[in-house]
Amino acid sequence: MPAYEISINGRSRRVDVEADTPLLWVIRDTLGLCGTKFGCGVGACGACTVLLDGQAQRTCILPIAALGATSRITTIEGLAGDGHSHAVQRAWSELDVPQCGYCQSGQIMAAVALLRELPKPTPQDVRRRMTNLCRCGTYQRIHAAVLRAAELSRPGGPA
Amino acid sequence: MRPCCGRPNCRGPAGRPDVTDTNRRDILKGAAALGAVLTLPVRLEAAARGPAGDQPALNAFIRLPATGGAVFQCPYAEMGQGIYTGVAQILADELDIPFEHIRVEHAPTAEAYRLLEFAPGVPKIRVTGGSFSTRSCYAALRAAAASARRMLVQAAAAQWGVPEADCVAELGVVRHPATARHTAYAALTARAAALPVAEPILKPANQLRYIGKPMKRLDTGAKINGSAQFGIDTRVPGMVYAAVKHCPVFGGEALSFDDSILSSSRHILAVEKIPGGIAVVADSFHRAKKALADVKVAWSDSPLAGFSSTEFAERLRARLDEAGETAESIGDAPAALAGAARSLSADYQLPFLAHATMEPPNCTADVSADRAEIWIGNQMVDLVVALVQGATGLPAERIIVHTPFLGGGFGRRVAFTDQVIPAVLLSKKLAKPVKLIFTREEDIQHDFYRPMTAVKLRAGFDAQRAPVAWHFTIAGDGPGRNGNPGFVGKLDESVFGGLNKQPYALAHKRVDYVYEPIPIPVGYWRSVENSGNAFCKECFIDEMAAAAGLDEVQFRRNLLADAPRFLAVLERVAGLSNWRSARYSAPDGSIRALGVALHEAFGSIVGEVAEVSIKEGAAVVHRVWAVVDCGSVVNPAQIEVQLQSAIVFGLSAALRGEIVIEKGAVRQGNFTDYPIVGMSDMPVVEVAIIESGAPLGGIGEAGTPPIAPAVVNALAKLTGSRIRSLPLSTHHLVTI
Ligand code: FES
Ligand code: FES
Repeated sequence: MPAYEISINGRSRRVDVEADTPLLWVIRDTLGLCGTKFGCGVGACGACTVLLDGQAQRTCILPIAALGATSRITTIEGLAGDGHSHAVQRAWSELDVPQCGYCQSGQIMAAVALLRELPKPTPQDVRRRMTNLCRCGTYQRIHAAVLRAAELSRPGGPA
Repeated sequence: MRPCCGRPNCRGPAGRPDVTDTNRRDILKGAAALGAVLTLPVRLEAAARGPAGDQPALNAFIRLPATGGAVFQCPYAEMGQGIYTGVAQILADELDIPFEHIRVEHAPTAEAYRLLEFAPGVPKIRVTGGSFSTRSCYAALRAAAASARRMLVQAAAAQWGVPEADCVAELGVVRHPATARHTAYAALTARAAALPVAEPILKPANQLRYIGKPMKRLDTGAKINGSAQFGIDTRVPGMVYAAVKHCPVFGGEALSFDDSILSSSRHILAVEKIPGGIAVVADSFHRAKKALADVKVAWSDSPLAGFSSTEFAERLRARLDEAGETAESIGDAPAALAGAARSLSADYQLPFLAHATMEPPNCTADVSADRAEIWIGNQMVDLVVALVQGATGLPAERIIVHTPFLGGGFGRRVAFTDQVIPAVLLSKKLAKPVKLIFTREEDIQHDFYRPMTAVKLRAGFDAQRAPVAWHFTIAGDGPGRNGNPGFVGKLDESVFGGLNKQPYALAHKRVDYVYEPIPIPVGYWRSVENSGNAFCKECFIDEMAAAAGLDEVQFRRNLLADAPRFLAVLERVAGLSNWRSARYSAPDGSIRALGVALHEAFGSIVGEVAEVSIKEGAAVVHRVWAVVDCGSVVNPAQIEVQLQSAIVFGLSAALRGEIVIEKGAVRQGNFTDYPIVGMSDMPVVEVAIIESGAPLGGIGEAGTPPIAPAVVNALAKLTGSRIRSLPLSTHHLVTI
C-alpha cells in the first residue's frame, strides 16, 4: 500500500492508504480530524470542503493520489491562527449562524475561499457562489455572515 | 419474512430479536401522538432527584460543580432547534445564575426526564419531536430551578442563622443584605443538596433576565471550530467500520452472498447479513464501502417487487369517493352540498418524501457480554435502550446511550432500528466497537418516508356565493398507525390532522378518512401530516375564494371573525407583505404575484405570504413574509431562524421533493436527484412574532406547512390554472 506525505494544518503527516482513498476519509478516519464532514460522497453538498492551497476543495471526490506533492491542506481545525479565530468564524459567531451545525465547517471553508478570491463580494456574488447545501436552511444568516466577514477582514475595517 | 414489530411491511428479518415488550409499546404509543397532540398537561415535578453524579445534584436538571458555574441536564436532543440554549435560558433565569456560566448536557436515561404525558394513565415518554421540546419542559424546568434556588437560599440562611426570607439569590450568589454577607452557590451546593426538596416559588415575569430575550446559542462556538461532536464523529479505541447495503427492493433479504473478499484482504474483517441487507466491516470506512460494492448478493423475492408509487397514487385517488371513517362532522355537509346553489370539487395529491438529514444515519456500538455502550444522534433515547435490550438481553442499567449533537433530525432520528440493530449485532459478533454509517444513497433509498396521500375537497356555496359547507376525503396511511403496535382505533390523526379542527366558520364541515395501507416504511417528517394537508386545504381555500369572487385575504377574513388569533396573524402578514391580490410587474421586469396561506400546527398559528415569479418554466420564490403566534416567547432569535429553516425545508419539498418508487425500489439516491433548496434559490424570509399569551406553541415545525400553498396560490395567478400536486418540478410553468 502506498504511503503519502501530506501537509495539513501546517504539519506534515504520513498516511498509508490505498491510492483511491478520498481525502475526506483520510482526514476523518486516518488523521482523526472530524470537523470535516461526510454528507453525500459525490461532490454535491460541500460538507467535506477544505482549503487546498487556498482554494475550496470538496474532499469526498478527491482521491489522495491526486494530491500534488506540495499541496497544503487547511481544515476547519486549522483555520484559526495562534488561537485567534478567523474573520469568517468571527462573523459566523456574531450572526449565530449554525443550527444543527453539521454543514457549517464546509460552509465556513467555502466562505474563506470565496473571500480570498473576491475580498469584496456583492450580495449577488455570495448568492451565486456559496453553493454548499444546508438542510437546516441557515442560508440567510450565512449570506449575511459572508458579507460581514468581508467587512471584518478589510484592512482598516471594523476590528 | 417474519414481522418483528407488527407493521405489515416490517423489514425485520427472521432471527432478529423481537422487541415487543411493553416498554417499547408504551414508547411507541406516545410517539403516535407526535404529529397531533396539542394539549400537554405537564406536572411540576421539581422533586425528582438526578442520578448520583460526581457533583451534588440539587435535582434531576441541575448540578453545581465546586469550580463554579452550572451543568444543566437537557431532556431533549440538540438537533439544530436550539433547545440547549432555550433550556439554559429557562434554568438560568429561575436559578438566577449568569448565562455565560452554563454548560448543557443531554440528560441520561432516567424517569425524571420523561416529561410528555399524552393521556392520563399512559406512561410518560421522552421524545425530541412534535415541536414539544420547549413547551413540554418549560414548566418543569422553571419549577426545578426555582426549587433549587430556594434550597441554596435556605442553606445560606441556615449557615448564617438568619431567616430565609431575609436572603436573596442573584447571579450565582446568595446575599444577606442586612449584614452584607454573601456566598457563591458553589460553596452552598453540598449543604443545599442535603436539604429536603423545596417548594418552588417562581419569579415574577418582570424579574426574568433571559426568558423572552434573543440570547445567543450556546453551541455556536463548537459548531464553527470543528469541535462539535456528532454521532458520526464518534471514535472509540479499537473501533472498526461498517458499511451497509439493504436490498434495493423493499421487503427483500440477502439470501446468500459471496464473501471471498474476506480472504483477499486483511483489512476486511467481516461480511454479514443484517436485517434486510448485508454489511461489510473493515478497518476503515472507505475500505468497507468499497468492498461492499464488490460483494455479489442474491436477494430474496419480495412481495413489494411490483410496487410503483405512480400506481399507488392512482389507487389512492380511486378511493376518494368512498365513505371511509368520519374524522370530523359538524352540521350535515353532504346534505348542504347536495342543496348548494354552486359547488366545487378538486383532487389533490402529494408524493413520498425523504428526510435527507445532512448527517447521514449512523450508529456506533460497543457491546460485550455484560454491557453495551451506544453512540447515536437520536430523538428518542429510551427507545434506543429498549432496542439494545431486545438485541442483547442485557438489563437496561448495563446499557449506556450517548446522544451527541444531531446533524438534523426532522423525524428521521426517531426511526433508528435500521442503524442500532445491525451495529449492535456486528459489535457483539466481532467483539469490537463498530461504527456503522449509511451512505447518502442508503439513506435516501431506505428511509421512513413522508407518506403519499390523495385528498378530495368539495365545497358548496349559497345563491349569494357565500360558502356554506365543505367535505374533505383523504386516502392514505400514516406513521401514527403504520408500524406502530401501540396504535388503537381506526382514526389515525397523523393522516388527516390539519384538515379537521379548522378555524374557518362554515355551518357544515366534514372530514372523512379512507385507510389505504402503505406497504413501504413511512415515518414522521417535519410537521408530519400538516405538510401535505395544509397544501390541499389552503390551496382549496383559494379556489373557494375565486369561486366566491373575492380577494383571498378578504375571503379568509370573512370566515375568521370568531377566530381572533388566526385573524390577527392573517392581518399582520397581509400588512407586512403589502398584500395585493392582483399580479404586478417588478422593477427587474418579472411578473410577480403574492400567495397567502394560514395554518395552525403544534399549538402555533403561522401565516405566510410568498412573492413568486416564473423563470424558464420553474417557480422563483423571491420573498416570504411569515407571522407566527406561538403564545409566548422564550427566544425570539431562535423563533426567527426556526421559521426560516422550516420554510426552506417546505420549499425544497414544494419545488423539487419527490421519492419515486418503481418495481419496489426508490429511484432517487443523492442530492443530485433528490435536490434541496440552496442559497441561490433561497427567498428572503421576514419573520414577525405575535405574543398572544396563549399557551406556549411549538416552533420547529409550524413554519413548514404554509409555504407550499402560499407559493402555489401565487403561481395560480401567473399561470391562470390550478396546480394540485407537488412537486412543482413535475409541472411546466408558464406565465400567461
Ligand atoms: S460529502 Fe463531499 S460534497 Fe457532499
Ligand atoms: S446547519 Fe444543519 S445542515 Fe446546515
